[in-house]
Amino acid sequence: MTFLALLTKELRLRMRRERTVWVIIAYILLMGLLGWFFISSFNNGYGYNTYNLSSVGTQLYTLLAEIQLFLILFITPAFTATAVNGERERQTYDLLLCSRLSSFSLVSGKLVAGLANALLLIAASAPLFSLVFFFGGVSPTQVLTALLVFVVTTFMVGTFGLFCSTVFKRPSISTAVAYMCGLLWLTMPLVIYFILLVSNSLRFGPGQPLLFIWNPIVALISTYSPGTIGLVTIGKVHMISWVAYSVLCAIATVVFFLLSMLTAKPHPINRLRMRLIRKKADAEQKVTVTA
Amino acid sequence: MIKVQNVSKRYRNVNALSEVSLEIPQGSIYGLIGPNGAGKTTLLRILAALISPTTGQVWLNGEEVSQSPTAIHRRVGYMPDFFGVYPDLTSIEYLEFYAGIQGIPRKKRARIITDLLELVDLSSKRDALVETLSRGMKQRLCLARALVHDPDILLLDEPASGLDPRARVELRELLRTLQGMGKTVIISSHILLELAEMCTDIAIIQGGRLVTAGDVDKVTRSLDGARQLEIRVMDRCAEAVEMLKGISGISNVMSGVNGESNLIQTDFTGDDEALHRLLVQLITSDIPIVSFAPRSSGGRLEEVFMSITEGIQVLQGDNPS
Repeated sequence: MTFLALLTKELRLRMRRERTVWVIIAYILLMGLLGWFFISSFNNGYGYNTYNLSSVGTQLYTLLAEIQLFLILFITPAFTATAVNGERERQTYDLLLCSRLSSFSLVSGKLVAGLANALLLIAASAPLFSLVFFFGGVSPTQVLTALLVFVVTTFMVGTFGLFCSTVFKRPSISTAVAYMCGLLWLTMPLVIYFILLVSNSLRFGPGQPLLFIWNPIVALISTYSPGTIGLVTIGKVHMISWVAYSVLCAIATVVFFLLSMLTAKPHPINRLRMRLIRKKADAEQKVTVTA
Repeated sequence: MIKVQNVSKRYRNVNALSEVSLEIPQGSIYGLIGPNGAGKTTLLRILAALISPTTGQVWLNGEEVSQSPTAIHRRVGYMPDFFGVYPDLTSIEYLEFYAGIQGIPRKKRARIITDLLELVDLSSKRDALVETLSRGMKQRLCLARALVHDPDILLLDEPASGLDPRARVELRELLRTLQGMGKTVIISSHILLELAEMCTDIAIIQGGRLVTAGDVDKVTRSLDGARQLEIRVMDRCAEAVEMLKGISGISNVMSGVNGESNLIQTDFTGDDEALHRLLVQLITSDIPIVSFAPRSSGGRLEEVFMSITEGIQVLQGDNPS
């Protein structure tokens, strides 16, 4: 019940902000315009007949999916990285602590509200993706698996942002850390890959290197290019990249969620710490009395 | 009954509270007085189970605060010294949210919120956005928020700060109503006059240490040793002054105070019985007394407070409040 109260309040506040509407408009416009420019580039004045229509569909889908992924990575932290410390800044955090709101309700309410915004963007872009089916070349299964990659990425990035908001007191710092970690997560495997490539330490085996097992771009590509890049091998187990990625994201989401619960309401840790301090103070007092 | 025993709170190298011990009677309006950085907010936050004391213990009706914070939050309504509002919510949505996170069933919420808005005189603003409310209204809304789960104890941190005189009077009346409902109200403030008029008991905190605590009149007398009397006579003022000067326990007799020729002000040392004897003596001397009353404890308290905190201001900057 406390979770629902928090979620209702969060959704009311978020949906009443003008910013939310503008973000959705900007998001759809950006994706729509890029898609339109892309289609226009294929139009040679005689329609699309000279090109293979399914190839246009595949390329349009690839473009839209990658833009979507980048936008998710870019926008989701903004929805969650200030969720808890924003309450501190608004000076309402103490009032939340002074209630029956459990750590679980606090974290899950904030997370669901933040993710609802991000998932709203994904849902709002669905009509754009449906345009791809006019051209063909993309199966509904591919779209659905890409959707799964989007959703697990949103959950993981959102939960990490929320964790940052519970750890850092200032929203600006938590947002910066969330973005920086997101960027490192995205680019570090690539940097390491090139370093290994240059130093000739990389062994080429079947499938993609394990380095990219938790990379959203590789996972997304694997949803529409099942082949060498679509497989990951751990020991004797072969797994499709997006499956391995989704599993890892789910695990990371759970871990960050639990950590957020621990850090959002500091009572259990604080009580333990204070008990230790008191024991120490008592021991010091005893020593003084004995002396 | 709230019992604070040897509570100290240390922030790194700063002692916010040192060995504070208090007993707060049930159903009282208890004032915490002290300058900025005295430790009032720290004490209130400890009572609200928001922070734990470094040493010492606090009991709320026999329950130790730091051991069971969740149980304490059910019984305590806390109003910090800032508004803590969500400007994009309406008054009713704001209270609904806090009722929700206090675990009040949905069915009961509407009635509770209507009653609370009526209590704080905000019924006409139920659908107004919080950001459109005046400072006094926001303060009353915050008080309604603190009351939403019907707590036994109310902790109010500087509730009258920044309010205009009318809003202060309204707040004072509201607190009296709450006391009448059997709630224990603990209130911190700089406005000593108001605290003295409002509170049944007070504690003066200075530099994290408790200077004195107890019944308002008792505290004033214990610090000052004397109470001030105001005697208004119809005429024969000079005769009354001469007579007063000869009575034991009377000192600093002044007439013509505040430009009023018939007003006599004097310090009086003694208990209520001695005060009664003084009045009888004046009446039997046939002096035409119009009024005979101790000066309001608020004004006295302010003087007492200023005198005890004089010269110690330098130390206060170190202590977070």
